Amino acid sequence: MEPGDSTKQARAAAQLRKGVLEYCVLALMRDRPRYGVELLQALEDSGALATSQGTVYPLLSRLRRDDLVTTTWQESASGPPRRYYALTDSGRAALDEFTRVWPGFRDAVDTFLSTPPPSTGDHA
Amino acid sequence: MKTPADPVRDYLRAVEREASALPADRRQELVADLAEHVEVTRAERPDATPGEILAELGDPRTIAATALAEAGRAPGIPAEGGAGDPARRGKVHPLVPLLMLTLSLPFVMVFSESPGPLFGLLFRIAGVVLLCTSVHWTTVRKTTGVLLAGVVPTVVIASWNLSSGGPAGDTPALVGNLGMLALMTGTAVWLWRSRRA
Repeated sequence: MEPGDSTKQARAAAQLRKGVLEYCVLALMRDRPRYGVELLQALEDSGALATSQGTVYPLLSRLRRDDLVTTTWQESASGPPRRYYALTDSGRAALDEFTRVWPGFRDAVDTFLSTPPPSTGDHA
Repeated sequence: MKTPADPVRDYLRAVEREASALPADRRQELVADLAEHVEVTRAERPDATPGEILAELGDPRTIAATALAEAGRAPGIPAEGGAGDPARRGKVHPLVPLLMLTLSLPFVMVFSESPGPLFGLLFRIAGVVLLCTSVHWTTVRKTTGVLLAGVVPTVVIASWNLSSGGPAGDTPALVGNLGMLALMTGTAVWLWRSRRA
């Protein structure tokens, strides 16, 4: 493979990740609060959403400032206390909205990718 | 006293250095988050070396760039831009053009001697310019405001002065001036109420 090809692939993945990462992070907190390392581990395990882990902390910081998540400290049996991230009502609303629009978005992209582009008439 | 090489400390310093454009509280929060991540990961995976943990966190430059991008889109942080930036122009408080327009007339009524009317006119022109460049009104409202609070009173008073030539202090002139003042005040109140946040 040409080096340029892998760079372009990485760029496509990075663009997609940029758009959906925060909603995936919110989704990880849907059922219970999670602490940072736990969130990063889940993203890592997903494969496609794995990212340079440190970049998730600025995202979490913004979610907190935008009042989509709240944080609480909890003691742990091993090691230092963990900072847990939990959804707020507006965080849950943002996640619900994304959950609502995502299937249509995904299907539209699939359609563009799987069918030939419509004829313009010139080539009929 | 020189401590032995501490890769974690060096890494956090590198993040701090790369993120120097961030507000101090954001920068400290980022460094604290990363330090906490390293501590927790060390506790959970005692076998992992600091080098491995830091490699997973990624390049300090990438993290700092992400933090700057996140800070840029957050509300409350002003967007970058010089004085000539159109986004900054027109951010004058909406009261300023309204007061300049309305007060220009009583100013002239009080200071009717020579430089007074000139200053009053300049006041009114500045008010019109500020009103037109303001972001607080639609074009239709601005046009209406300029006509009712600027053009009409100026034309009426000017033609009154030119035709009668009488002193501004006599009763009909006073009534005329007060009428125009009421029109300007009414327009200003209407503009104030219909302004956009």
